[in-house]
Amino acid sequence: MQNVLCVDDSRIMRTMIRGTAEVLGLGFLEAPNGKTALEVLAANADTVGLICLDINMPEMSGLELLGRIKGDERFRHIPVMMITTESCKSSIVAAIKGGAANYLCKPFKQEDLATKMVDTLGLAV
Amino acid sequence: MSSTATLSSQEFNLLRTYIEKSCGIALGNEKAYLIDSRLSGLLAENACEGYEQLYHKAVNDPTNRLRDKIVDAMTTNETLWFRDVHPYAILREKLLPDLEEQFSRGRRTPVRIWSAACSTGQEPYSLAMALREYKRLGGRLECEQVQIIATDISSSALFVARNGAYDRLAVTRGLDEPTRDRYFKQVGNVWRLDESIKKMVTFSRLNLQDSLASLGTFDIIFLRYVAIYFSDEFNRQLFAKLEQALTPGGHLILGAVESVRGHSTAFETQTHAGGMFYRLQAARS
Repeated sequence: MQNVLCVDDSRIMRTMIRGTAEVLGLGFLEAPNGKTALEVLAANADTVGLICLDINMPEMSGLELLGRIKGDERFRHIPVMMITTESCKSSIVAAIKGGAANYLCKPFKQEDLATKMVDTLGLAV
Repeated sequence: MSSTATLSSQEFNLLRTYIEKSCGIALGNEKAYLIDSRLSGLLAENACEGYEQLYHKAVNDPTNRLRDKIVDAMTTNETLWFRDVHPYAILREKLLPDLEEQFSRGRRTPVRIWSAACSTGQEPYSLAMALREYKRLGGRLECEQVQIIATDISSSALFVARNGAYDRLAVTRGLDEPTRDRYFKQVGNVWRLDESIKKMVTFSRLNLQDSLASLGTFDIIFLRYVAIYFSDEFNRQLFAKLEQALTPGGHLILGAVESVRGHSTAFETQTHAGGMFYRLQAARS
């Protein structure tokens, strides 16, 4: 089963993304920070099909983690969807330039998240 | 950190015209922020320095994938179960009894209902549940006598719709508990629609700008909260196609804030249960 890895320091956000992954029949892995995310990725690189990554996280930011993921040949093929806010437009552009495949602005509804996940995973093609 | 491209008035006009041509969505001058906020990610994704370059890439993309991504980004997926009370009261108390009567008088062809711009499936599935409720409460119209066709421009939204599963929050918006419990099965955090409801709906991708001829004709069209996004000119063209897509005497149901006025003179306004709906008048000579 393809897993969605959610990297977000907000438990509520991780729960929401878990729910949508389950709705789409996808597995779910989570990490509350960048350091744990890299550990989870190292252990599960073959099964992670999508990373949902919060831009604003303490310690290692989402952009920094994105750079680490895209700079590591074990992980760089995995599409990353950035989770951000409308006010972070410059960060969105930086993230896309840094290799993120898609982005979603908070607040969002489950259907919006599901639609973006489908789009990023290429399931509808 | 990279700088963010800004949208000039010339670029806004280019993209505004392109978006209207691509999907009919009309953007007034006050909507420049929408292009800026929703398309900024596509700029970088497509390695474009500015919006004019994005425009040229989209126009010259033979696969239309970039066009679809732009349209997807500009359209909203606002959708609820049984959105507004009156369309379903009109269906239950007026349209379905009339159709039932047609069958008792010998009608043989199935009733066809079209949910245009169905997004992630809430409207067509609400229609399917309404039909099942109608039958359950004593109606004589069989579900097999009704076809529900649902279309949307977004392939990803259609994937979610076909999947027919929603999380706890998504099933609370507009769905009462008895209906939810009757037609959904809860497995953990996931609420999965009953297969018999899913089977009642046929989904397909459609840009409302394109010909509707392949869809056939309909007894009822739900085109709700769609026309408000479109330009007057696009709406005139769209409503002309709707006139062709409806059977004589067929009905059109729009959003609560929408009207045929200014778009078509072929419809007669009717009211029921505090809501308006529109009947296609007989062909004029």
